[in-house]
Amino acid sequence: MAQRDPQFNQHVLVDTTPMPDHIPKVEEIGATSAFLSSAAYFIGDRCKAFNDDFMKCKDEANGRGEIECLKEGRKVTRCAASVIKDINTHCLDQFKAHADCLENNNHYLFECRKAEVSLNSCIFDKLGLKKTIPGAPENQVPVHLRPKQKYAQYPGPQY
Amino acid sequence: MPQDMPPTGGYAQVQYKRNLPARGFKPFYYMVGMHMIMAYGFYKYFHGVREQRELAREKMWGRLYLTPLLQAEEDRDQVRRYYADKAREKELLGSEQKVYNSDRFVRPTFAYTPSKVTQ
Repeated sequence: MAQRDPQFNQHVLVDTTPMPDHIPKVEEIGATSAFLSSAAYFIGDRCKAFNDDFMKCKDEANGRGEIECLKEGRKVTRCAASVIKDINTHCLDQFKAHADCLENNNHYLFECRKAEVSLNSCIFDKLGLKKTIPGAPENQVPVHLRPKQKYAQYPGPQY
Repeated sequence: MPQDMPPTGGYAQVQYKRNLPARGFKPFYYMVGMHMIMAYGFYKYFHGVREQRELAREKMWGRLYLTPLLQAEEDRDQVRRYYADKAREKELLGSEQKVYNSDRFVRPTFAYTPSKVTQ
């Protein structure tokens, strides 16, 4: 039977020319999606000013934001990297547990409340960052603090 | 000859009604029961929808907090390719020419493919 070897050519499509020297370097965040979505609210809590600044710059740059907002973009990345670094130094175990749980549960936050509660309390104790969902109704418990999660595979008390 | 008369005491009743026992409850109670089951279902449904809405809000804000970070990374990559394209163009053509009659940043339609395997 004729053998047909797979041929991949994506790797030749990458332009690897480095950034020109007049643009300061910044290390990319390099975290995977589960870790990012686990840390999203803490990134949002600490870096809100930088994030808003960057988005405002992009909005007002009149279509040239990619080039003109590099400075703000670097600040955003550095701030997020600092959050990830702090979480890694102080709450690595809980962070890993939550990210693993998300990874195993289709990134559904409501499946991982137990890991999330311990992560959130650790981060609040060590870093002082708090998860708040803007715009949530004030007369009810925020959804991430409800012990029962209706849509989880085990909907009973989570912790 | 005497006339043919009804029997004394009259004829027996003719049974024109069906004589079936009524089964089950009165229909009214079935309707009440149905409405109670429906009310319970709607109660659960509304609470479920409220929870879904909050979960969606949580997910959306999580993504919104990450958007600037992801966008900044993507923008840097685009700018890196843009400058690389410009340098290549200058090397090949000897001059820089604007392709578009606009100052806006345009994502290139065609990607440069290096002749050598780069990665």
